[in-house]
Amino acid sequence: MIILESHSVIINDVLTDRFEKPSRADIQFVDYDNVRFHLSTPSSKTQLLLSMGIQCWPDLVKYGAREHLQDEYQDYLLPQDQTEQEYDVSLIIDLEKLPESGEDRLALISRISHLKSTAMSSPFLSAFSEQSTLQANYKEPAGAQQADIVQPENKGELKIVRYREEEAIYIQATNDRVTVIFSTVFKEETDKVFGRVFLQEFVDARKLNALQNAPQVRYSNREPPLEIRHLPGLKNGEDWGYVTFVLSPRHFSNPTQAQANINRIQLFRDYLHYHIKCSKAYMHSRMRHRVAEFLKILNRAKPEVAATEKKTATGRTFRTR
Amino acid sequence: MSRQPPLVIDNGTGYTKMGFAGNSEPSFVFPTVIATHQSASSGSSNASAGSGARAPPPIAGKPSHLASKRGIEDLDFFIGDEAVANSKTYSLHYPIRHGQIENWDHMERFWEQCIFKYLRAEPEDHYVLLTEPPLNPPENRENTAEIMFESFNVQGLYIAVQAVLALAASWTSSKVNERTLTGVVIDSGDGVTHTIPVAEGYVIGSSIKHIPIAGRDITYFVQQLLRDRGETAQIPPEDQLRVAEKIKEDYTYVCQDIVKEFKKYDADPYKYFARFAGEHSVTGRKYDLDVGYERFLAPEIFFNPEIYSSDFLTPLPEVVDTVIQTSPIDVRRGLYKNIVLSGGSTMFKDFGKRLQRDVKAIVDGRIAGSEERSGSHLKSSGVEVNVISHKRQRYAVWYGGSLMASTPEFYNVSHSRVDYEEYGPSLVRRFSVFGSAV
Amino acid sequence: MSNTLRPYLNAVRATLTAALTLENFSSQVVERHNKPEVEVQTSPEALLHPLIVSRNESERVLIEPSVNSIRLSIAIKQADEIEKILCHKFTRFMMMRAEGFVILRRKPLPGYDISFLITNFHSESMLKHKLVDFIIQFMEDVDKEISEMKLSLNARARIVAESYLSTVSLT
Repeated sequence: MIILESHSVIINDVLTDRFEKPSRADIQFVDYDNVRFHLSTPSSKTQLLLSMGIQCWPDLVKYGAREHLQDEYQDYLLPQDQTEQEYDVSLIIDLEKLPESGEDRLALISRISHLKSTAMSSPFLSAFSEQSTLQANYKEPAGAQQADIVQPENKGELKIVRYREEEAIYIQATNDRVTVIFSTVFKEETDKVFGRVFLQEFVDARKLNALQNAPQVRYSNREPPLEIRHLPGLKNGEDWGYVTFVLSPRHFSNPTQAQANINRIQLFRDYLHYHIKCSKAYMHSRMRHRVAEFLKILNRAKPEVAATEKKTATGRTFRTR
Repeated sequence: MSRQPPLVIDNGTGYTKMGFAGNSEPSFVFPTVIATHQSASSGSSNASAGSGARAPPPIAGKPSHLASKRGIEDLDFFIGDEAVANSKTYSLHYPIRHGQIENWDHMERFWEQCIFKYLRAEPEDHYVLLTEPPLNPPENRENTAEIMFESFNVQGLYIAVQAVLALAASWTSSKVNERTLTGVVIDSGDGVTHTIPVAEGYVIGSSIKHIPIAGRDITYFVQQLLRDRGETAQIPPEDQLRVAEKIKEDYTYVCQDIVKEFKKYDADPYKYFARFAGEHSVTGRKYDLDVGYERFLAPEIFFNPEIYSSDFLTPLPEVVDTVIQTSPIDVRRGLYKNIVLSGGSTMFKDFGKRLQRDVKAIVDGRIAGSEERSGSHLKSSGVEVNVISHKRQRYAVWYGGSLMASTPEFYNVSHSRVDYEEYGPSLVRRFSVFGSAV
Repeated sequence: MSNTLRPYLNAVRATLTAALTLENFSSQVVERHNKPEVEVQTSPEALLHPLIVSRNESERVLIEPSVNSIRLSIAIKQADEIEKILCHKFTRFMMMRAEGFVILRRKPLPGYDISFLITNFHSESMLKHKLVDFIIQFMEDVDKEISEMKLSLNARARIVAESYLSTVSLT
C-alpha cells in the first residue's frame, strides 16, 4: 500500500453491513487529523446517526463547509441545532428509505465514507472559485511581465486550517494559481532527518519529465515561506517543515479531478508521516537481518562442541536442546 | 481538546481483533496473516529459525503492479481477509505461532497496515493497548516496545496479559458484584483451550494447563457424526466443513445429562431433530439435512473427551479443579469463586451451568471425603463455585482491553513516550497491573 | 577508497591480535573477585598502554589492553546527518541485543559509537583468530550497511514522492 485511501474503512464496512440487515450500533472511532466519529442508532435500529467531530471545524465553517456538506449530503445532513452534542456534523441515514438499486447504494456508501474528506475540501474549493474570479478580473499590469510579481489586490484571502494541534494548512488564491502550504512538525530526531530526505525528494521529483504536470513543490525548514511569514505565532526551528504546493488552474478545472486532487493533498501530511514510519520499519527489518548475520560470524568463533551421546541411568538416550 | 481514544489491538494466533477503546465490539476481526511477495520457501524457513537467521529483507522481488518501483517492495503486501483473497499470487505467512510473535519483520508490517489502512489513526496521537499470552518472554515485550515506540512513535503503550483482560471483561456480567482480578480463565479459541489461574492480576504460570480440544475439534466431530449417519451424502464435499461449522454455531447446546437427553430425542425425534437448509456454493442446488444428536454431543467432548479423542481423556471440569488445586492455597477459594469463560468455543448454551455443576460436584465430593476421614469432627463451611458467562464472551480479551483502556487510570499505568526515551525498551519489563483498585 | 581501508583494517587486525594475549587474573582489590581490569581501572599495574588506530578524523579505533581484558571502541564514519542517525540507530539496535553478542558492551565509550569488551574467558572459550575476524568483518560491513541503508532511504523517498505527485495531476 503506497497511497493512503481517503475514505473511512469502518464507515464503509458498517454501512454495507447495516444496509443488508439493520441492527443496533454504538461505535466510536477516529480518522486522521484528530477527527472523531460516532455511529449510533439512538432511536431505532433503522435510524443510523453518524456524527463527526473535527478539530478545525471553526476554520472550515468560515470557508463554507456547512454549505458544501449540504450540497453533498442534502437530506441526510441534520440541521445545526440537531447535531449530536460534542460533535460538529451529524448525518442521519434512514435504512427504510434507501435507494433501490445496488449501485445507488454503493454510491451512497462511498459518499458517506468520504465524509471527512468532503468536509476538509471546502476551503480548497472556495480557494479555487476565488482564483477564477481573480483571474477573470485580472488585468495585465503594464510593465510587469513576470507572473511572479503578484499585485497585492490580486491575492485572495489567506485561509488557515488548523487541522492538528500545532500544524496547519494555509491556502491562498492568486490570479493565476492556488498556493497550499502545509506546516508539519517532526517529533523525533530520526523523523526529522528522514522527513528532510523525503521532502527534498518531493522537490526533486518534479524535475522528471513524467511528472511535469504535477504541481510545483517547494519546501523549507526553519524559515516559514514568504507567503505566510507575516503571520504571528509561526514556529520555526529544526523540527519544523513547511511544504508548499503550487496548484495551477489546470489542476482543478475539471470538478472530478479537482476533488481527487483535493483528497490527495489534504492527506499529504499523513502520507508523509506514514512513509517515514514505513521506512523505519524497513530499516528495522534490514537491521534484524544484519544483526543476525553478525551473530553468525561471531558464533563461528565458538569452537564446535562435539556432541556426545548422553544416557540416562536406565540406558535411554536424550538430547539437550 | 479531548484526548483521542486508545487503540486496542489483540493479536491472536488465528485472528486479530482491533478497534478503539470504549466500544463494545472490535471494529475489525480478521485472520492474523500477511501475504507478501517473497517466495514461499524462504517463508517456511522463517517459522523454524525465527526472525534470526532468514532470507534477506525484501530488497529484490518479483515485479508487480507496485513495482516498476524497485526498492519499495516491502510495501507490497496484504493483511487479513485481503491476504487470504490474494493467496494465489502472494505467499501467506502467519507471524504469530502459539500466541507468540515469531516473525518480527512480518509483524511490524502487519501492524503498519492495521493502523494506517484499517484504523486510520495517526499513532503519534494515540495510546496503544496490545495483548500478550501468559508467560510471554520479556524479550518479546521489549521487541514489541521497540517497534511501537521507534517505528510508530506511539504516545504510550500498555501490554496486557490476555487472561487478565478476560477477567476484566467478566465484570460486565450481572453475577459479578465485586471487581477482582483473581480467577480462573478458560480461554477456548479455535486451536487450543487454556486454563489459566490469575491471582491479583498476576498469572500463576506453573499451574496453567492446556487442553488440545477446541473449536476446530468440535467442528470435525460434528462432521464425523454427520458422516456416520450418512447425512453428508447430500453435502458437496468442499462445503462439508463449512456446514459442520454452521451447525455447530447455530444448533448446538450443552445438555445436563447425556443419557436423559438421548431418551428425550428417541421418544420424540420430531420435536428435537432440527432441519438444516443449505445451498451448494457453486451450483446453487438446495439441500437440507437432519441435525440430530450432534446438537448436544458436540460440546460434550469438553466434558467426556473419550467420545472424540483417544489421547486426551481428562474432562474439562477435572482440569479446572487440578489447576486450582495446584495453585497456592490462599488463593484457591478466590479461584473457585470466579471461573471466567472467554473465546468463541465457550459460547454454547448452558456451557457455564454444566461446568459449574461438574466442578461443584468434584469439590463437594472432596469436602465430604475429608469430613468423613476426620471422623465427622470437622465441618466445612463449603466452597463457593461460580462459573461466569457473559455477553461479551466471544471477544472477551478485546472487550476487557477496551474497558481497561477507557478508564482514566490507563494513562497512569501505561508506559509513555517520555519514559521510553529515558529508559529504553527495558521499560516494559516492569509490569504494572491495573484495574485491581478500580 | 579501499586503498586506505585495507591498511587501516590490517593495522587494527595486527594490534588486536597482539593485544589478545589475556590470562586469568584475580582482582587485587577485592578478594575472590575476578573483574575485567580495563573496566574497573583499580590497579594501574594491570593496565597496558591504550592505542588509537585512526584512518581519518571520523574513523578510528581505540584499543585498551590490560592483563585479563581488552576494550575495543570503534568510531564509525558518519559523513552527514543521515548517516549519523542511521549509525546511531544501528548501533543502538545491536546493543539492545548485546546478550547474543557476548563480547559486545552495552554502552559505547564516550566519543565512540560502539565498544567491545573481550575478557580472558572469551578468548579461552572462543577461537582467537575468529574473534579478530569478527571485529574486522564488523568494521567492514557496518560501513557498507549504513551506506546501503542511506541509499535505500533515498530511493524510497524518491518513489514515495513520485507516486504521490503522479496522482496529483492534470485532467
